[in-house]
Amino acid sequence: MMDILQQLLAGFAIALQPINLFWALVGCLLGTAIGVLPGIGPALTIALLLPVTAQVAPESAFIMFAGILYGALYGGSTTSILLNMPGESGSVMTAIEGNRMARNGRGAAALATSAIGSFVAGTLGTLALTFLAPTIAELAFIFGPEDYFALMILSFTSVAVVMGTSRVRGFTALFFGLALGTIGIDTQTGQSRMTFGTLELLDGISFTVVLVSLFAVGETLYVASRQARTAGVVYPLKGGAWMTREDWKRSWKPWLRGALIGFPIGSLPAGGTEIPTFLSYTVERRLSEKPEEFGNGAIEGVAGPEAANNAAAAGILVPLLTLGLPSTATAAVLLAAFQNYGLQPGPLLFATNPGLLWGLIASLFVGNVILLILNLPLVGMWVRLLLIPRPYIYGGIVIFALVGVWGLSTSWMDLLLMCGIGLIGYVARVYDFPIAPALIGLILGPQAEIQLRRALAVSQGDWSVLVGTPIAATLLAIAALVIFLPFFVAKFRGAMHESKA
Amino acid sequence: MSSLDQRKAARPWWLGVAIFAMGALWLYGAAGIASTTNYIGLGPAAMVQVAGGGLAILGILLVIQALRGETFAAQDEEGADAAAPPSRPAFLLALAGVAMPLLTMKMLGFPITAMLAFTLVTHAFGSRRTLLDLAIGALIGTLSWYGFELLGIELGPFIPLLR
Repeated sequence: MMDILQQLLAGFAIALQPINLFWALVGCLLGTAIGVLPGIGPALTIALLLPVTAQVAPESAFIMFAGILYGALYGGSTTSILLNMPGESGSVMTAIEGNRMARNGRGAAALATSAIGSFVAGTLGTLALTFLAPTIAELAFIFGPEDYFALMILSFTSVAVVMGTSRVRGFTALFFGLALGTIGIDTQTGQSRMTFGTLELLDGISFTVVLVSLFAVGETLYVASRQARTAGVVYPLKGGAWMTREDWKRSWKPWLRGALIGFPIGSLPAGGTEIPTFLSYTVERRLSEKPEEFGNGAIEGVAGPEAANNAAAAGILVPLLTLGLPSTATAAVLLAAFQNYGLQPGPLLFATNPGLLWGLIASLFVGNVILLILNLPLVGMWVRLLLIPRPYIYGGIVIFALVGVWGLSTSWMDLLLMCGIGLIGYVARVYDFPIAPALIGLILGPQAEIQLRRALAVSQGDWSVLVGTPIAATLLAIAALVIFLPFFVAKFRGAMHESKA
Repeated sequence: MSSLDQRKAARPWWLGVAIFAMGALWLYGAAGIASTTNYIGLGPAAMVQVAGGGLAILGILLVIQALRGETFAAQDEEGADAAAPPSRPAFLLALAGVAMPLLTMKMLGFPITAMLAFTLVTHAFGSRRTLLDLAIGALIGTLSWYGFELLGIELGPFIPLLR
């Protein structure tokens, strides 16, 4: 305990250095901006910034990324409330009550409860991360290759099952990513695989190219072909500019409950933010003394899900930092960022690179404070971003996608891949295939292969080693269970769509 | 668009065929990887086989689902109307913008390519002020080229043909 506090203090000493405060501010500004703007999310932003980080110390880069991660959540809730445009799945529930409140002229109160709730839950979530992460990392020291392999299988199955509308489509996305991950030189035998005789593919397909193509290019093609005929209406901030005493009274419990729901679910191998925000909304509606207000702008329906959303974002960092296990697209990019610096998140990183990890965790606290300041008084400035005409937003996104892809190694092959995989991203949107499983398969597949082959090499090819430890056997059993869980999830989603309507 | 198109969109059997073909390609590729005989455990071809086999099976499942009439509805995205009839000209314009770099990047360099891609994409989104868009695209392209060069990211010569 004392040890953790000491480490955290050392982390603050790093996060509060002027240069790192500067990067945190840059990250928070960028994050809020991309949260407000359509078409560009935190995963894409961080991926586009990956090449830049070659020039920056890892501490500063991750502090900036943390600001983007949290900032996008704050910005996303602003558009949900004022425009009824949830920028990401985590703010869908916020839009329901928040936009109603804005229409009733209570937009300012909705924004305030969402920003303060995000701050409270984000801070609580980060606090939980602070104490939980080192403990899990400690546990992970006893993991052998078969345990890691089982953990990754669990991650694969749960991501494929939980994200997206059907298991077949989730697994298709996952195997697409796994297949792309096999391209290039096999690290253990030096043989080239699936390179089709091209030199450019020997190094494998870059994660950045795949992510930028699937997100930026796929989204641009999709939105261009199906433009909304009606522009969103921004509801002006008028009347009762702030939260009233009653609003405070009705908000603080949902904030705490949201944090309590969001963090644990977020830290599961396929956590994400969709399920905790939905759960929080349902809980608040159940517990409300005025359930009839739900659907007409109940402040609890904004406070709870927003808190859950931010706590879940902190939760997502638990498996990422302690086990190197990404559970969302953004987490997958963060993993790629670690690998860019030649670092592998996991228990060893806590031992070898405490300054980086604790600086990152401390910066999450700092970032929350910066974001609260940036978002409460300055919300009007952010809304003005929405005045940028749509064509210029997407034109700009394509230019930055080109910077990200061409800047990697000025390779023509990468441009071709960008076109091809971008088209696949378009098709995925048209037929509702999830994207995150493909990214997680691409980045985690090669690692799962290494662990599997390591385990089998140690056991001299005896496959029973894969269930040889209690941890591995349990994890694989849960993975099998997860495949049959969707009957439950399907019911869940059905209920969710009903409540949306 | 006609209801015929919508029904076709709802039954993308060809998608399953494409996934199956990709799986078959991976399985075929795995067969070409020489397995090192003295290696204990798993050889380099195994993972390729798993990925290929998985894709092949999923491709078949997708075809069955599509023929059974399972719905493949378009996703809701910010700023997009999933129910809106797809606009082919807009899609092709945007695609042209993304494909343009394949033709121009090597010869004309980053700033000009960015200008052309930007203008094509803005026109896909309904802009008709071509000269203004070209100017803005050139400005963003040039600023990015200089800016990222300062950050140490090499985007090639300014205009390769002039070198």
